[in-house]
Amino acid sequence: MAEQDIVNLVNGVFMESFEIPGEKLVPEAKIFTDLGLDSLDIVDLVVALQKKFGVTMRDDERVRAIRTLEDIYNFIQILKQENRK
Amino acid sequence: MHSIKHYDHIVVGGGISGLSLSLLLGMTGNKVLLLEKGKNIGGALFRFRRNGIPFDTGFHFTGGFYKNGILNDMLTVLGIHDRIHPLVFSGPGASRFVFESEQEAFDIPVGIDNLIPVLKKRFPREHAAIDRYFDLIRRVCANTTAMNLRKTMMLADTMDEDFVSLQEVLDQLTGNELLKGFCCGYCMCYGVKPSEISFANHARVAVGLYETLARVKDGGDAFIQAFQERFKAYDIEIRCNTSIEHCIEIRDQQVRTFLLSDGEEVAAKFCIFTIHPQEVLKILPREHFSKAFRDRVDAFEPSLGFFSAHGVVEDCKPDDDFGPSIVSLYPLPNLNTLLSPEYDGPQALVMLRNKESADGKVYNVVTAFEPSFREHVAPWRDSSVGKRPKGYRDYKERRMNLIHQRFTEYYPEYKNSFKIIDAASMLTFRDYLHSPEGCAYGIKQKIGQFNLFGKLPLSNIYVAGQSAVMPGIVGAMISSFIVTRSLVGKEKYGQFIEERLAH
Repeated sequence: MAEQDIVNLVNGVFMESFEIPGEKLVPEAKIFTDLGLDSLDIVDLVVALQKKFGVTMRDDERVRAIRTLEDIYNFIQILKQENRK
Repeated sequence: MHSIKHYDHIVVGGGISGLSLSLLLGMTGNKVLLLEKGKNIGGALFRFRRNGIPFDTGFHFTGGFYKNGILNDMLTVLGIHDRIHPLVFSGPGASRFVFESEQEAFDIPVGIDNLIPVLKKRFPREHAAIDRYFDLIRRVCANTTAMNLRKTMMLADTMDEDFVSLQEVLDQLTGNELLKGFCCGYCMCYGVKPSEISFANHARVAVGLYETLARVKDGGDAFIQAFQERFKAYDIEIRCNTSIEHCIEIRDQQVRTFLLSDGEEVAAKFCIFTIHPQEVLKILPREHFSKAFRDRVDAFEPSLGFFSAHGVVEDCKPDDDFGPSIVSLYPLPNLNTLLSPEYDGPQALVMLRNKESADGKVYNVVTAFEPSFREHVAPWRDSSVGKRPKGYRDYKERRMNLIHQRFTEYYPEYKNSFKIIDAASMLTFRDYLHSPEGCAYGIKQKIGQFNLFGKLPLSNIYVAGQSAVMPGIVGAMISSFIVTRSLVGKEKYGQFIEERLAH
């Protein structure tokens, strides 16, 4: 999957599922402070991303290490590669 | 300005989860209001009477009654251990799986240590698979801290077995379809296919059933009466026929006051829902939740339900052997097929026999139930109790006759003495138990799914219940213990559990 496609789809999740305006969705945006999600939103975010990308995510240390939108883009890229194996 | 009543906690739903939670909160010094939409508390624990004979509604048996077993420990903490008398399915023929297409029957002894040699004798080439299966079951449960009240109770990190299905594990262990069928037999006890349940959740439910499968003397009524007694000692108010109509005042992401269906406005510091997750979202203001949250909840599917027939064997002497026994007939060893809504062959059938005493008389009671799906009753889903059309009554009659036939084929000695007195379809369960779609285990707990559990985005609203952690009576109670820990604080909770277990 091309990098830009991942960016668009992830941003789509934030716009559709969390009603966050597109102009806020820059790679360095911090999920908690800049985008206003809280810890309780993370499960919903994971579920929405799983559905969008057809991947399985675990609520593990890799998810918990995510801070910025860019971290999510990279994480999805890795998951997609893992899935291909 | 009118004065409104203040509570520490409102607990919504009077099933086993709500009862346990109310008592735990009451015992830890809180003022509790328990709301139950139906006429009586107890939910599926409640028993109904026909011709003076008590019949189980939704609670027939459980696992977990062993020393330091999770159920035993929870009952001890709640102070009702001495009120609940397990009647273990033990002895020849007391617990049996029959695979009809293979003409194979397995008598299941009490305890994994006794079961392993039985299986090894029947499957001499599968010793490694059998050992590995039970090792895995034990390992999952040992690593699930939520299943041990004696450890600090925490929701553990998920483990590998949470992300692999029961079916995948069995396919790796063996190619023997009959052995796989045996290992999947208890899928009926959580209502999810082997290909959809995680191995971990299968293990958490099945371990108790393998260790001690038991009825309870006086069934669910024993629990209800025990809770009612205990409630008297604490500040717990019960209101039946009552639910929350809507939230009135919401400030700083907290609901301050609630309007009840009886018209009263009440205030509470916290409100905990033990009802079906999708019913929770019908009560709370949707605009306070992200679309992602709402989508997650809307996507939950229902677990299976049951069609159950209730009857008696007449003309039996009081000292005749009549169980308790449980026999499950599986027309095929493939539970994925049997638990599919589209499957139209003979259903799996669970047949329970037990003696029941009521008003000085002893009855030989039979409860027999088959898996059922909302598709089975879809044509009449808009009908209500007392106003069902003829097509529905014919459907019920057909299934009752079929159950009667299969029961008396298995027990030919009861051919003339077995009478079905009443039957319940998924619509019956739906309308009497207020269970959406009549599903037996709340939502279908599928692999990789994130259940609704604990604190919600409205920060004084919590969710527990059998859809939260794992299905069945044990899972429902565990969820209440974990939520209590969040609400009262882990230190106070830890001390409370320790003191109670030392009793």
